[in-house]
Amino acid sequence: MFGYVRARRDTLNAAGLADYEAAYCGLCRTLGRRRGSFSRLFLNYDFAFLAMLLAPGDAPCTALCRRCMLHPIKGKPACGESRWLDTAADESVVLTYWKLRDTLADGGFFARMAARFLALCLGPAYRGARLECPDFDRAVSLRLTELRALEEERCPSIDRTADCFARLLSAAAPRTGSAPRDRAVGQLLYHLGRWIYLIDAVDDLAEDRKAGRYNPVAARFPDWTEEDRLYLRGSMDHSLTLAGAAFQLLEGNRWQPVMENILYSGLPGVEELVFSGRWRDHQKRHRRNGP
Amino acid sequence: MNDPYSVLGVDPGASDEEIKRAYRELARKYHPDNYQNNPLADLAEEKMKEINEAYHTITRSRSGGGGQRQAGGYQQQQQQYTYQQQYTGGDALYAQVRQQINIGNIPQAEQLLRTAPRQDAEWHFLTGYIAYQKGWLDEATQHFRTACSMEPANAEYRQALSMMQQGGSGYRPAGYGYAGCDPCTTCMCISCASPCC
Repeated sequence: MFGYVRARRDTLNAAGLADYEAAYCGLCRTLGRRRGSFSRLFLNYDFAFLAMLLAPGDAPCTALCRRCMLHPIKGKPACGESRWLDTAADESVVLTYWKLRDTLADGGFFARMAARFLALCLGPAYRGARLECPDFDRAVSLRLTELRALEEERCPSIDRTADCFARLLSAAAPRTGSAPRDRAVGQLLYHLGRWIYLIDAVDDLAEDRKAGRYNPVAARFPDWTEEDRLYLRGSMDHSLTLAGAAFQLLEGNRWQPVMENILYSGLPGVEELVFSGRWRDHQKRHRRNGP
Repeated sequence: MNDPYSVLGVDPGASDEEIKRAYRELARKYHPDNYQNNPLADLAEEKMKEINEAYHTITRSRSGGGGQRQAGGYQQQQQQYTYQQQYTGGDALYAQVRQQINIGNIPQAEQLLRTAPRQDAEWHFLTGYIAYQKGWLDEATQHFRTACSMEPANAEYRQALSMMQQGGSGYRPAGYGYAGCDPCTTCMCISCASPCC
């Protein structure tokens, strides 16, 4: 995905931060183990959130200190092998691959060349991952095709376009057999997906306008006045409220404080940075900080 | 029923005050106001019922097993949400649409609305309500706004638009009271006392 779904380090306590880092590093190690080192290059915070969300109530955080390329001497504590990390790792490979294919179809010349190369390198990992999560693979392919069609017709509805990505993300949680849990997780991921799609559109707004590319926010708000900005933020905050309400209905697990931090502090913080145009600078300055 | 202490998330040795505090926090979390018009309102209602029963079981057993419920517990209100309010208009189609919404059959309600011969205020209100259930918040706002402009005196339409303008209602855990917090500024609120940049 895009890396917007992250915790606020300054509002997360030490234990929460340690658990967050262990889940993030555990996901990185799982990617390497299951799908090869190349797939680790595409690791991002969004799938660390998904991994924590998929962890069952009794999932332990058995963080063993392991060395890796980024931490060759001291190592870093990372969660051990588990089903929820496997699912998040495979789904991250599937989504990354389809996003690359999407860029191949409608990106600029250099973006297409880069996407072709990366998709080629990621191909073997994708072919293994899709066998493990065929439903998600189908959902991603279908929703991205729908989204491309709407983008090609320059759809002025932010709801219709965001709905494709929101449904794609809500398909990321495998059915558990518990209808209440599945409904709550589906609703959480739907509104999180809606928020991610819209924040990405706002983030790309200036670039897309300059290049004459389609942007759902520009199509819906051609004048992009202060009133429009406030209105869109209100709608995105509403999605976060609904995601939070769904989250509260779930059985808690060890990462509940981290996920609460993400939903109630991390995402509003990212939203503020994107809307004020400081997100990309913030990204550059904090790239080395880890989760 | 599950162990009432684990439902409230407290130890069986907890004091009455601790139990009351845990119960109040959970009641605040699952209060019907936080799930008004929410597609998951039924799940929140179930949770509320479960914690009410757990609280009353504990207070009854601690007061010697008397049959009377203790005072001070949250009295669950059977709220009739916006769409469930009695429809006094004469249009049979809209009555059917509301009936489908009430039983949770949103696709059928949507299908029925497509057959409406005209797009009046009630049509916009119901279309907005269905959009809200699907998570299409922008279209819901637009339809509620149109319904209000067509019938400004209708309290039901105004209430729906007001809900959208307030961004819904929801519980926020302790320490996350302020939504518009800027991560690059030293905030004065207690939840983010230190700058991250």
